[in-house]
Parts: sequence; C-alpha cells; structure tokens
Amino acid sequence: MALNLKVPQAETREQRLGTIIQWDGAASQLARDSAFTHGCQKGCDNGGRRLCEASTPFSQASMCAEQIAVTNATIIQESVVIQHSPIGCAASQTFTCRYYRDLAERRGWKLEDPKAICTNLIEQDMVFGGIRKLEETIREAWERHHPKVIFIAASCASGIIGDDIESAARSLEAELGVVIVPLYCEGFRSKHWSSGWDVIEHGILRRLVSREGKKQPDLINVIHLGGPDVFSPLLAPLGLKTNLVMGGSTLDTLAQMSEAQATVTMCFVLSYLATGLEQDYGVPEVKAPLPYGLADTDRWLREIASVTGRQGNVEAVIAAERERIAPELERIRKALAGKKGFVAAGAAFAHGLLVVLRELGVEVDSAFSYHHDPASDSGDPTQDTLSNLVDGWGDIPNYTVSPDQHFQAHAALQRSKPDFVVCRHSGTFASLAARMGIPVLPIFYSNDGIGYQGLITIGRAILRVLPRRRFYEDVSAHSRFPYQKWWLEETDPFAPIIEPA
Amino acid sequence: MPPLKNTSLTGDCPHSGPIEQVRYGCTLGALASVIAIPGAVPITHCGPGCATKQFHALSGINAYQGGECYVPSTNMGNREVIFGGADRLDELIAATLRVMEADLFVVQTGCIPGLIGDDVESVVNRYRRRGAPIVFADTAGYRGNNFTGHETIARAIIDQHARDYDGPKHERLVNVWSLLPYQNPFWRGDLAEIRRILEGIGLEVNILFGPASDGVSEWKAIPRAKFNLVLSPWLGLETARHLETKYGQPFLHVPAIPIGARLTGRFLRDVASFAGLPPEPVEAFIAREERDYYLYLRDFSAFYAGCTSQYRLPSQFVIIGESAYTLAVARFLADQLGLLPGVQIATENPPDTERDSIRAQFANLAEGVHADIAFIEDGFEAHRRVIESDFTGHYPVVFGSTWEGELAKRIGAPLIEIAHPATDEVVLSRSYVGYRGALQLLERTYTAVVRESTVG
Repeated sequence: MALNLKVPQAETREQRLGTIIQWDGAASQLARDSAFTHGCQKGCDNGGRRLCEASTPFSQASMCAEQIAVTNATIIQESVVIQHSPIGCAASQTFTCRYYRDLAERRGWKLEDPKAICTNLIEQDMVFGGIRKLEETIREAWERHHPKVIFIAASCASGIIGDDIESAARSLEAELGVVIVPLYCEGFRSKHWSSGWDVIEHGILRRLVSREGKKQPDLINVIHLGGPDVFSPLLAPLGLKTNLVMGGSTLDTLAQMSEAQATVTMCFVLSYLATGLEQDYGVPEVKAPLPYGLADTDRWLREIASVTGRQGNVEAVIAAERERIAPELERIRKALAGKKGFVAAGAAFAHGLLVVLRELGVEVDSAFSYHHDPASDSGDPTQDTLSNLVDGWGDIPNYTVSPDQHFQAHAALQRSKPDFVVCRHSGTFASLAARMGIPVLPIFYSNDGIGYQGLITIGRAILRVLPRRRFYEDVSAHSRFPYQKWWLEETDPFAPIIEPA
Repeated sequence: MPPLKNTSLTGDCPHSGPIEQVRYGCTLGALASVIAIPGAVPITHCGPGCATKQFHALSGINAYQGGECYVPSTNMGNREVIFGGADRLDELIAATLRVMEADLFVVQTGCIPGLIGDDVESVVNRYRRRGAPIVFADTAGYRGNNFTGHETIARAIIDQHARDYDGPKHERLVNVWSLLPYQNPFWRGDLAEIRRILEGIGLEVNILFGPASDGVSEWKAIPRAKFNLVLSPWLGLETARHLETKYGQPFLHVPAIPIGARLTGRFLRDVASFAGLPPEPVEAFIAREERDYYLYLRDFSAFYAGCTSQYRLPSQFVIIGESAYTLAVARFLADQLGLLPGVQIATENPPDTERDSIRAQFANLAEGVHADIAFIEDGFEAHRRVIESDFTGHYPVVFGSTWEGELAKRIGAPLIEIAHPATDEVVLSRSYVGYRGALQLLERTYTAVVRESTVG
C-alpha cells in the first residue's frame, strides 16, 4: 500500500502493516501466520490462518511513539524541537542530551547540548487551549537559536484538547522564514512506540528532502537506528559513499537523500523512509535481507552492487572480508561453544541479532520481540526477516512478542534459562535479566552486529560480560521482585491471570 | 499571558512559560515517590510512555539510581481516549492484585484520564471497600510537577491508608518531610544521615522514603508521631499543615537542610528543644560528631590554606538547582568555607506563597552574607543570568545539573552536580548533608577543583 505523504499525519503502523504487540509461540508459526497479511489469502500453507494478537489483562508501563519521534528529531543537527506538552513529556530530553553528546563525540560534531523547548502546558491551557503559548515558544526558539528547522511535537494533552498545530506552524513559518515541521506523535495514537519512527520519517520526507539536487553517482543512503558509521568500511571498497541518516543526521545528509543511487535500511522497523524515497523521489530501495551473519552480508553486498551497478569487485571484497575475520571468528566460536543465548529487541533488529548468535554457534531457543510487523512498507518478501531467520537458521521455539513487559520478560527468561541475554532498550530488560542472575549485553548502538565485523564485535562483547555472572548472581540471591510467588515461578508469558467469568 | 522575555538580571521568570533544559518531572512523576516507599507500588492510568519516561528521567539516568521499571500501567490508546478508560483500569487493578505483591498500591492518573473525565476514584474505591491496600491520587501531568505531585500522593496515603487516629502520641516519634526522592540524586544517603542524626539525639524517626525507611508500616505510624519536621524550604509544608489539622500534630519548619557541624549542631538543638528532649544526651551526641568532623576539617585546612597552592580555589559559588539543595549548599559554602554567593537560582517553581520566606533565607545566608535567589525554571534564561553576572576578581565554582556543563566550561569553572539531571555522577549511598555528608561534599567539590586545574 502506498504511503500517503500528502497529509501531515503518518498512518500508524498497525493501520499500514498490521503490527501486533502481544504474541507467543514458535517463530515459524508467527512467520506463517504473518504471511496472511501480505495478501496470500487461501494460498497460505497454514490454511489461511490469520495472525491473531494475544492479550493479557495485566500490563506495565511501556514507551510511546512521542519519545521516539522527539528523540530522533532532537538529534538532527541545527534543529530546535518544541514539545507542545505538559512538562513531563520533556523529561526524556535529559537522556537525549546524553545521547546527542555521545553521538557528537563519535561523529566528530561540535560537542554541545541539543536544543529542545517545552511549551509547558498547564491546567489553564487545557481549558483555554495552548496555541498562543505555542506561537510564542516558536518565536522564542527562533530568537534564541536561529535553527534551520523547527519541529513541533504533539502530545497526548495537545491532541485531546485539539490544538491546531498545523495552522500555527504555517503562519509562523511564513512570519519567521524557517522550516517548521509538525510531528503528530500523540502517545495514544499508536499502540507501539515504533510508530514514532514513521512520524519523524514522514516529516523528513515531506519537508527536509531536497527536490532540486543532482544525482550523485556514488552516493548510497544508509538508514540506521543510531551509532557509529560501520558502513563506510564495507561500502567504500565498492566505490560507494555512505549517506548515513536517522540516528543523528545533519540537514545536508537528509536533503541529499534524493540524490542517492539507492537506499538501504539497517532495520526494517525504519522502512517508511526508504519506501517513501523510492515512491516519491525515485531512489530505489535495496531489497535484500539485513546484513547479519556471513551469508546474508554476502547477499546484501551483492544486491547493493547490483542495484548500483558496481559488481566489478564485490566478490573480491566479500572474500577479503571473510578471510580477514576468519581466525577471530573461529576463536570466538570456540569460546562460546555450549553457551545458550537469549535475544530481546525490536522485530527486524531482533531477527538480525538472532542470526548473529546462531552464526557464532550459540544455542538460542527463545527470543523476545518488542513488537511484530507482519509486513514491511515495501511489501517485498525479501524484507521478511522473520522468515529469513526461520528458513535460514531454523526455528525459535519460544518466540514472545511483548512491548518490553517486565512480568512477561521474567516468565520468558524463567522458561529459557539462558547463559546470557543480548538486548536493546536496556531500561527494563537489561535490569531484569541482571537481577535474575543472568549476564546481559545491552546494545545501545544497534549497528554493533552488522556485517562481517559485527560478528566479531558482538562475540567479543558477549565474552566480556559472561564473567560478570558472579556479580549478577550475588545481587539476584539478595533481592526480590514485587510479584506473587505463582508468577515468579511462571514460565508462560501469557499464562491466564484472571479466570474467565 | 505575561511576556516571555525578561531581559534584566534580577527577578523571576514568568510562571508557566516555555522551559528549555527540563529540570523536573510532571505531577505523575511523583510515582517515583511511591516507588521510594519500600513495599509500595504505583498503578498508573495514563498513556503508554508516561510512567517509564518519568521514572527513567528521575531515576534511571539521574545519577543512575536504578532503572528497573515494573510499574503497572493501562497504557491508554485510541480506544480508551474515545470510549473512556475506567473499565480498562478496573481490569488492570484486578490483574495487578493477582500478579504483584505489595503492602500498598497507589493508583495515579496522568493527563489523559483527567482530560477525558474518567471516574477513577469510584473504580479505586470499589477495591478499597473490599479491603485491598490501595489508594488513589490525581496526578494529571498538567496539574503541576513532581514536587506538587509528591504532596498529592502523601496526602492520598495519609487520608486513605493511614486513616483516622486519636490514640496516644508516641513521645519521641517524629515524621520527617524533606528532600524529594529520586529528584535529588543524593536523597537516599541524605535521608539515612538525617535519620541517623535525629536518632542520635534520642528521637524515633519515620523517615518515610528510601532504604533507611521501614516502608509502609512507617506510613501507618504517621498519626502516632508527636510532631512533624519539615526539613526543606517549602516541600512538605502542605502535608505538615494537613497533619496538624487532622491529628493535632504540631510541626517544626527548618528551611535549610544542615550541612556541616556548625549548622547541624544548631539544627539538632532546635529540634531537641521543639521536641522537649533532655539536653545532656543531645550535647553528648553533638560533641562526639564534632570531634570526628573537626579532625577531618583540621587536616583539610592544610589543603585549603594552600600547601598545594597552584590550584585555583574557588571564591564565588553559583548554584542552579531545586531550592532545598540550593539553600543548603549555599549556607554551607558561605558559612563554613567563607565563599561568596554569586548567582543563585531555584528551578522547581515553588508556590508563590512560600517564595518570600525562601528569599529571606538567602538574604541571611551567614552572618553578614546576603544573596538574592531567583526563581527560574528555564535553563536558557538561568544561564544568561550567570553569563552576564560579574565575576571580576573571582574564581567561580558551579553547583548544578548536567545542563550546567556547557555553562561551567564557558565561565571556566568546575562543576559539581547536585541537581536533576545528574548524568555525570554515579550515586549510591553518598550523602552531602549533616556531619558525614558535609565531608563528602568537600571531597567531591575539591576533587573537581583539582581536576579542573590539572586535567585539560
């Protein structure tokens, strides 16, 4: 289904992709049931069984789309983000500041705090509306920082009281002569936080991509979740220049996305941008599985070479890279032999990490995905990372979909009893695993597992955390969770909690 | 709305203007205060990101106090916004009582139920009537901040859980209302030190929050206390006034949390006198503490006097933080170390009615030392005041939050993080108040001074 970039609001991913946030079973079953969403109808080999979302009466605090949208707007350079919200929504800016400064250090940007202002809506604004306050804040943002772009992020409160952000943005844009991009990321609009990626990418596609630039014959867009540039070393030998976007971008890199030969996405949770670039700007999206593990990285490089017409030396690059890492990969495989791992991350990224663990020879029978997209925006089956995992590497018998729910994660870990956990969104999951006595590798920068070097990076990182078991076990033996005994012993994340009436 | 800009170097920011560099949470952020009570669990009726956002900002990355979040939440979505969320909350509470174990549950609302008009109180009351240990606090995010929310949850627990009491008072028992848990990165160690020194003079203490507290049982014992001690410029006053009316408990208000022997001794004597304690044990405790304290101070005086005189020892202090620590630290620096006050800013938006008394405290920091305190929530404006202030002839030192990193660099001053957000400090039980805390504050301050002079 085509993306509608003509309207200011992005459709949520449950509307576009049929995203679910609760499920438990074998990964192979989830992959088969997801196929229905692609429109295979009765041709599905499971007899056309629909993907059925599980439910549970108990739920714990999760994350919202606003946080994703706002964080990723804030780390765009030369921007000011205005959160049109009560002050609490802005609380995440203290984290974003740390994140931005770390990115700046790694990328060689000017070391400074990102700029974000909250309109600080209070009770009287709930009654009388907050538009005047928003307008004044936009003027103040302009006067203070003279940014090149101002983002306005909506909030649950501003959405419910119905403030007309669009009109305010248009009139202030005319008054100040600065690009103003509204972000419709009210937390209640989508049940999953990853919709926040779509919101910021929608805004970028509508307003920040240049329509005038000339094609650059060697430029390739790489859309990633954040972190250091691990792509240039892979793509430079093919004669390609990496245009690294999202996860911290300059406005120039965003503008010139339309000038690239192709786009690759490092996690199909972010597929909105690549699909939009193909659909509205004619930049083809590379259709290949994600570059996790040796074989898929080979395929990924070959596909990029093919789309950009640079097949000349791709086989030589692949051979050289494989040879380069072989001895260290062997050492790591030996060191990890007999270990059992557990992965907790978001959808496609989780699938990638699972491939990495299996490539490293680690046993994995359980995984935890923070949501599940039955389809990607391109609709292309090569982007079905779950099927790719199951077909290429075998089933994951216990595959749980849950939006980082602490109580379900506890049950899933009780069921699996792994030797270590690799996870993203380290707040809930990492702390939980640690307190259960399990060494944990939190992945802050999601590029760590990518490509040939990713196997080495992740493998070494796991080996670094395994010895910490003595610390975690000690803590585990001396602390307890606020759950009742029956739940502490439960191994089914979706065990019935309230008997049916 | 008043104008947003204020170009002078004095005076406060207009209320409820835009805020750059956020320094506190919303009303719902008081869920951190509930989590701070051992045995209590908040149940949040709000949007999907509200509770984690508050907790991670206040605890997870604020001095890395702990980020494990298991707070039940309805994670309200479109359906609840359109059709109402009371049924979903009802289901969540029932499930929570089946899955979680706690001595007390505090149901807190966020913005959404406030705006769509969910009748949360009725839902919670049904469970209370059935004997569940559960109370309700309206903490819609737009109502205030985590400071006012803190008093809201205290009031809710007192009125709905501690219940009515007109039995005999426990002669030596005091309820202490002081620092805001989690917001202040040092609250755990500080409350432990406050408890220690109050017990040292012979009191029994309901410290109410943190590792030094016995948890919900202390809250049940609130009505039995002889008096309340409000140890902060304003936070806790509303609660103490309520307790005065409700249980006839008088309260002692000490605005400045004491740091250092001189101020702590004075504080303990004031409390002892208010509580009617016999003076001998009090003086004996103070003497014992002072003996230790001044041995360390004597040795530190060699450094302070200049045995390593290449360091630029600060002469003027700038503080940007919540009023409790701004006042406490300012007093210590002025009274104990002989530093001069520069710009002093309180960032947490204290109630108008309490501002004059806070100003009076700063006007008399130490004998002959006067300071002005400005109430400014917006970091950009706070920094402007500092940058445009006069440092002629002085070496400044900045006490503040991570947001002051750039400011401190700009004016060439060391930064000591004492306020939210503190992302460059890992704090476990460290304390900066009382006798022992003062020594740690000296250690941290002058370590920062030495590093500033020698590294980079």
